[in-house]
Amino acid sequence: MAEDHAAHHPTPRQYVNIAILLAVLTAIEVALFYVEQGVEEFTTNMASPLLILLAVLKFVIVVGYYMHLKYEKSLVKNFFVIGFVAALVLYAATLFALGIVSGVF
Amino acid sequence: MADVAHVDDHHDVHESTGIENRKLGMWAFLSSEFLFFGALISNYLLFKGRDFGAGTVYPRELYDIPFTSISSFVLLMSSLTMVLAHHALATGDQNGTRTWLLATGMLGSVFIGGQVFEFTEFVLEGMTISSNPAASAFFMLTGFHGAHVFIGILMLLSLYGISRRQGGLTEAQGLNVELVGLYWHFVDIIWIVIFTIVYLIP
Repeated sequence: MAEDHAAHHPTPRQYVNIAILLAVLTAIEVALFYVEQGVEEFTTNMASPLLILLAVLKFVIVVGYYMHLKYEKSLVKNFFVIGFVAALVLYAATLFALGIVSGVF
Repeated sequence: MADVAHVDDHHDVHESTGIENRKLGMWAFLSSEFLFFGALISNYLLFKGRDFGAGTVYPRELYDIPFTSISSFVLLMSSLTMVLAHHALATGDQNGTRTWLLATGMLGSVFIGGQVFEFTEFVLEGMTISSNPAASAFFMLTGFHGAHVFIGILMLLSLYGISRRQGGLTEAQGLNVELVGLYWHFVDIIWIVIFTIVYLIP
């Protein structure tokens, strides 16, 4: 059984490597925050999309490897993705209708 | 210890879909939580850039990014200890499971302590939940997230206590570790979104 588990999930060393990657991505996010404080042109054009991209990357890594969604059956993946996409579409549409989304990006 | 078994992720006891019912239920619950936190995040975005007149304090004026970055790092690392607890149980290491469960609970407590400190600072600076709609949305969003973390800590400590009393977790209880783990990681990914949208994006 332990062998079965090992065959389907990352090893402890891989989990630690993933955590290091997450920490590095967080550090880049914080660095971007301070860059945007000092460079106005960068702020308006680049910072927000980059921050969102990094957040999405961290989100996908945690869901895929720590929550093991990458290794789950399609039924579980569908449950998760449907809830996420439904919330994203519902609230994006609402914020867009209220004219808020353009203020975020 | 004779009744203590290794957890088997693929040993489906109560299921009609090939996936244990409780596990599928947890995924369905987490899926629905996107709508819950989506509403709170949208509510914050609705008010964050608005002007509510002079003499009121806005959340953005008070954020302490270095402090919140450390809190975020602590919560991220708690996801590592949580997954190590699950891995330890899957390999039959009951002591390791207890150690990592306790470590996860402690890291979660550090995060909650940081949030209590942050809220206290904000109130002392004059921003309360009723100061303006932006402050209200901020406290609602981060407060509900904190409540989720607190519930997670209680579940982690319960598992730790049960394991310590019995000398280990049975196979059925082992599934609980996986379910609590899913919940804990979900709380982590919600914070990833909150940290970016609320604190970092102007």
